[in-house]
Amino acid sequence: MPTKSAKNPDLSVDFAGIKLKNPVLTASGTFGYGEEYAEFVDLNRLGGVIVKGVSLKAIKGNPPPRIWETPSGMLNAIGLENPGVDAFISQKLPYLRQFDTAVIVNVFGYSLEEYVGVVERLDDVSGVSGLEVNISCPNVKAGGIMFGSNVKASFDLLSAVRKATRLPVIAKLSPNVTDITEFARAARDAGCDGLSLINTLLGMAIDVRCRKPRLANCTGGLSGPAIRPVAVRMVWQTAKAVPLPIIGMGGIITGEDALEFILAGASAVAVGTANFIDPRATLNVIDGIETYMREQGVGDIKNLIGGVNV
Amino acid sequence: MPAGRGYYRIVLKAPEAAAVAVPGQFIMLRVTENLDPLLARPLGIFSLPSKSSIEILYRVAGRGTALLTRAEAGQTLSLLGPLGKGFPMPDKTITPVLVTGGSGFPPLHFMSLRTKGRAQVFIGARSKECLPPISVLKSLRDHSLSVTIATEDGSAGRKGMSTDILNAFLTKMEKKTHFVLYACGPHAMLAAVSRIAAEHSITCYVSEEERMACGFGACMGCSIPMKAGGYKRACKEGPVFDSREIEWGEQDSLIRLISPIRPIRRMIGE
Repeated sequence: MPTKSAKNPDLSVDFAGIKLKNPVLTASGTFGYGEEYAEFVDLNRLGGVIVKGVSLKAIKGNPPPRIWETPSGMLNAIGLENPGVDAFISQKLPYLRQFDTAVIVNVFGYSLEEYVGVVERLDDVSGVSGLEVNISCPNVKAGGIMFGSNVKASFDLLSAVRKATRLPVIAKLSPNVTDITEFARAARDAGCDGLSLINTLLGMAIDVRCRKPRLANCTGGLSGPAIRPVAVRMVWQTAKAVPLPIIGMGGIITGEDALEFILAGASAVAVGTANFIDPRATLNVIDGIETYMREQGVGDIKNLIGGVNV
Repeated sequence: MPAGRGYYRIVLKAPEAAAVAVPGQFIMLRVTENLDPLLARPLGIFSLPSKSSIEILYRVAGRGTALLTRAEAGQTLSLLGPLGKGFPMPDKTITPVLVTGGSGFPPLHFMSLRTKGRAQVFIGARSKECLPPISVLKSLRDHSLSVTIATEDGSAGRKGMSTDILNAFLTKMEKKTHFVLYACGPHAMLAAVSRIAAEHSITCYVSEEERMACGFGACMGCSIPMKAGGYKRACKEGPVFDSREIEWGEQDSLIRLISPIRPIRRMIGE
């Protein structure tokens, strides 16, 4: 058993009872159900995979165009397309279970009952390490953001979800609110075990020649390096306000980007849009964190969490 | 390198990709290692000039492709590919009929090379200067049975659209069972080709274009509506689809291209 030292740094973290070999996860909706990346990435190397959002019934998604590139970022309005929880369990999960990596299932619904339904369905399924509850998708009319932008609705929903499962519950928060810490407190009060932030920022782009929105859905979620400073700030604010572990995300491309989130108070990070431009981005982030720790003489990643000097 | 008529040529050394690429497949190419523009560009394969290289012909359509024109010989660019499913290759008894408009010709040019002089090619453009570059037309003529051109203003070939000359050709043919259509171009053209194929009871494969972020099935951005319901990904299940699979009525981008607000010519040098 090698000892912890800067030469052989320990990247492992315990996130809300989920053991992660390193703090690098994949952001929901950017990594499919793992299979699309298997030819590029040894999934065993990842701290964990947060899968694309799963609902009680299959969802078709929004009409195209669904994405639009913006300066150092992109807008998307996929519309939570997914095969439904039963197809996920029978067709997608068996593949992911083969790997030595944590599987966190992102869940959502269009009503409180649907959220509870999908959570109950996943409760006794083997190979699921935890649930990330999406209360913040900006791209569907009902559901998602409807809960995520109302503190009381968030609390009620997360309380119901918490009661419906034995698995760790992580609330994925929306940045499209005035004070994200109010929602973090609601999640804590509801008994959640951790927080994920941030989801995408609501945005819009217009084709001035056609005088039409670039996305068929009109608005979409902005992601990528363009939003990173906003995300780091929100993680920092939330970490100070609420004693729950945080998965920080928003425009992480490199190990140093991930370390910004960790120093701001995140216990783990998720790589999202970067996977699209380089399917091996997660591995670059892990290697970058390790290199930094060696250079800085840090033997244990846990010593960096919240370590920003202000 | 400029190839004429607003097009540029780039030859990429990529032995692993060149070894397995087939017509209809594409690559994702990053035009810069910086984070703006962020996403890679999907580009159809024009030809494989050697066992280890891929040739791309593209038109400047925005900032990304404009930056790509500044790439220098010897420079390294991030490339992913070949991606997607290509055209099903026709057996020797089949006459491939290639139909293109706009800047959709690269995959069909590759197809003409692979079918070794058996293809009948139909090209449509708004006007003479909107046709593929002269060198491309020559290469198509050299590698196909025939090349027929139509322009909407009559400045080259016959007056009309690619679908007009295609329909005229198929209508005068008594026996059609040995034809298979392969089409790549604007959605409106593909929809029209698909209709013509149905009218003549001919199999038709179309190569679809949609905006995409990743090119390998993860972002779910490039969804094409299907007749059977739901969507399929242009990058993974496509870009080539049997035209009967596609729900042609639902596409928003189809409506946009028919709309007269945006002349196609404006896209050059935009």
